[in-house]
Amino acid sequence: MFDWPTFLFSLPLLGKALLITLQTSLLGNAIGFVIGTLIASMQLAKMPLLRRLGGSYIFIFRGVPLLVQLLVIYYLAPMFGLPNLPPMVAAIMALSLCSGAYIAEILRGGLLAIPSGQREAAHLLGMSRPAILLRVELPQAVQSTLPSLVNELVLLIKSSALVSVVGLADLTRVAQNLASSDYLFFQHYLVLAGIYCLINIPLTMFGRRLERHLERSLA
Amino acid sequence: MPLSLSPSTSPPAASNLEATPKGPDKASPIIHLSAVGKRFGNHQVLADINLSVHHSEVVCLIGPSGSGKSTLLRSMAFLEEYDEGEIHIEGRLLGWEIDDRGRRKHAGRTRLNQARRNLGIVFQQFNLWPHMTALGNVTEALVRVRGIKRNEAEKRAMEVLDKVGLAEKAKEYPARLSGGQQQRVAIARALAMEPKIMLFDEPTSALDPELVGEVLAVMKQLALEGMTMVVVTHEMGFAAQVADTVVFLDQGSIVTRGTPSEVFRDTQHPRLRQFLQNYLDRNAFWHTTTEQEN
Amino acid sequence: MTFDLSIITANADAIWNAFLVTIYTWLAGSVLGLIAGLLIAALMLFGGRPLQRLLRVFIELVRGTPFLVILFLVYYGGPSFGLRLGAITAGVVCIAGYSSVYFAEIFRSGFAAVPRGQLEAGECLGLGRLQLMWRVQLPQMLVLILPSIINMLTILCKETAVLSIITVPELTAVLTGIGTRTFTFIETLLVLCIAYLLLIEITSRAGRWLERRVGTYLQR
Repeated sequence: MFDWPTFLFSLPLLGKALLITLQTSLLGNAIGFVIGTLIASMQLAKMPLLRRLGGSYIFIFRGVPLLVQLLVIYYLAPMFGLPNLPPMVAAIMALSLCSGAYIAEILRGGLLAIPSGQREAAHLLGMSRPAILLRVELPQAVQSTLPSLVNELVLLIKSSALVSVVGLADLTRVAQNLASSDYLFFQHYLVLAGIYCLINIPLTMFGRRLERHLERSLA
Repeated sequence: MPLSLSPSTSPPAASNLEATPKGPDKASPIIHLSAVGKRFGNHQVLADINLSVHHSEVVCLIGPSGSGKSTLLRSMAFLEEYDEGEIHIEGRLLGWEIDDRGRRKHAGRTRLNQARRNLGIVFQQFNLWPHMTALGNVTEALVRVRGIKRNEAEKRAMEVLDKVGLAEKAKEYPARLSGGQQQRVAIARALAMEPKIMLFDEPTSALDPELVGEVLAVMKQLALEGMTMVVVTHEMGFAAQVADTVVFLDQGSIVTRGTPSEVFRDTQHPRLRQFLQNYLDRNAFWHTTTEQEN
Repeated sequence: MTFDLSIITANADAIWNAFLVTIYTWLAGSVLGLIAGLLIAALMLFGGRPLQRLLRVFIELVRGTPFLVILFLVYYGGPSFGLRLGAITAGVVCIAGYSSVYFAEIFRSGFAAVPRGQLEAGECLGLGRLQLMWRVQLPQMLVLILPSIINMLTILCKETAVLSIITVPELTAVLTGIGTRTFTFIETLLVLCIAYLLLIEITSRAGRWLERRVGTYLQR
């Protein structure tokens, strides 16, 4: 049933693809975090326009399927007479824009939980608004929402399977290519699922441990 | 009714306390506990409990928190598994079955339910079902367990709700009732199943002080009607007035037991005296006056 | 670059059919997923240790795998052991299977949120475990878990877009198909985005409305 030689032969290829998957997910997550911070602070700003903008961003990027976002990013440039974006760039753009919306929602919750007295105190000390956000509020928000952020990373790694549609040679794409060359669909996809699980399950468990740890330290 | 817990005021005549009209009227106990014990890991929660409750008897379990009195009461409904000794309800072993080799194993659901059929239980936290009205709470088991038709069940439920003085609150959801009213609904829910024994687990401990009275009044009425009751309580006044037997537990064992007057007045037992003194210190400002009653 | 919505109206029939396929795969998959999730949660509550372990492993494996990969496994991998499904059926089955583990977790947390005492009270009155689950736990937890369920439904709505990759003729497949055939990406992708935004918005609004309605009967 399980063709071991084929499996062993595919391992180096899958290993290289795994690097691509991790690269896109992690970069997407990092840029998404920056976008998320920006959007979250926009949502908590006093100016109605900023709040409206932040809200719309989240509405759109959480409301449209990631696959459609990818297609838009990939197909849009040629529409304006530009060459197609390199798949890697399109992939990271889509992942970071989308995860930015989710991370913004997570961080907003964390920022709202910080007592306003802290901001006032920092303000009285003469800290600027961005400095307060970066040095006082963000570290606390990240700490209190770390389990959700880890969970978001897991979701992003899973979502990254979709970047195969723009031709990036990630795990899923390589497995697809292998399967269509030797028709061992089930085996290759099983291995593929196994690799994702090997990354995601430990990460999920780590997130759960963080959560328990957090609960205990708050109790 | 005599109610004297304050040693400084003149104690009522012992005869008044013992004049409580009810006593065991049948020879065989309705609940019988022999050598019951329970441990959580290394901690012995209950040790060598021997206790008999007879028909129409009211037994109050008192003791400091952590003494095991709630665990004991919950064991009588097998909500806690006792792991030593035996509890018999109306002669039936509760919760366990003895297999061919004399080892014990969990009794089946039907067997457990048979034994529990005689029991009504009232909890500290009421445990009403918040998504059902008072009436719904009382009718539920009548319909689902006893298989009574809904109309019939509602009629019966209304009678019981009327008995606890809540007929006009029948259509209210628990969240709209005061704690005292909720607990009375909980009592009605248990009573509707016509149990032979009512178990009360600190029924007034979760209530605001001004709501305690209405619940105790219902319980007193039940006792007068001859219901067999086991009550875990911190209301020493209630115990003194209503109990036939007061059992004092400490650290998982029965330290002493007797009639209210024996336990509250005559005891020489140091731990019990200390417990009662603590109670009096806490409640000193009530300073109950002693009324006499024949 | 031009903007010409006539391409949409010219293909209105095809788009409408695609919309129906999206709705069908989404709702059929979700309903089956809800039922399977409830079943899993109930089995984890009442089943023995080995069964619990087994379900736990199943849940973790499905949660660790991308939806697309599950889709590939079932649709392309299925035939290698005799499971031949049409694309739409495979889509429904995958959405159901994928969501079942998430729904199971939601139900499990719901069961746990109903205070134990309420069950003890019912047990003492002679109510059976299933009766308690059906009459006491479910109605209360439905109120508690409604937001999570609605959230999951919106996620699943978006996941249906992935079905286009296994050639299910749903919105994404049909609209991008029209786009590539006629080089009208802007119009088609715009309509596509708006369609999903509308679906998601309607779902979450309906959810909030439902929350208010069922919420009141507990607080009355």
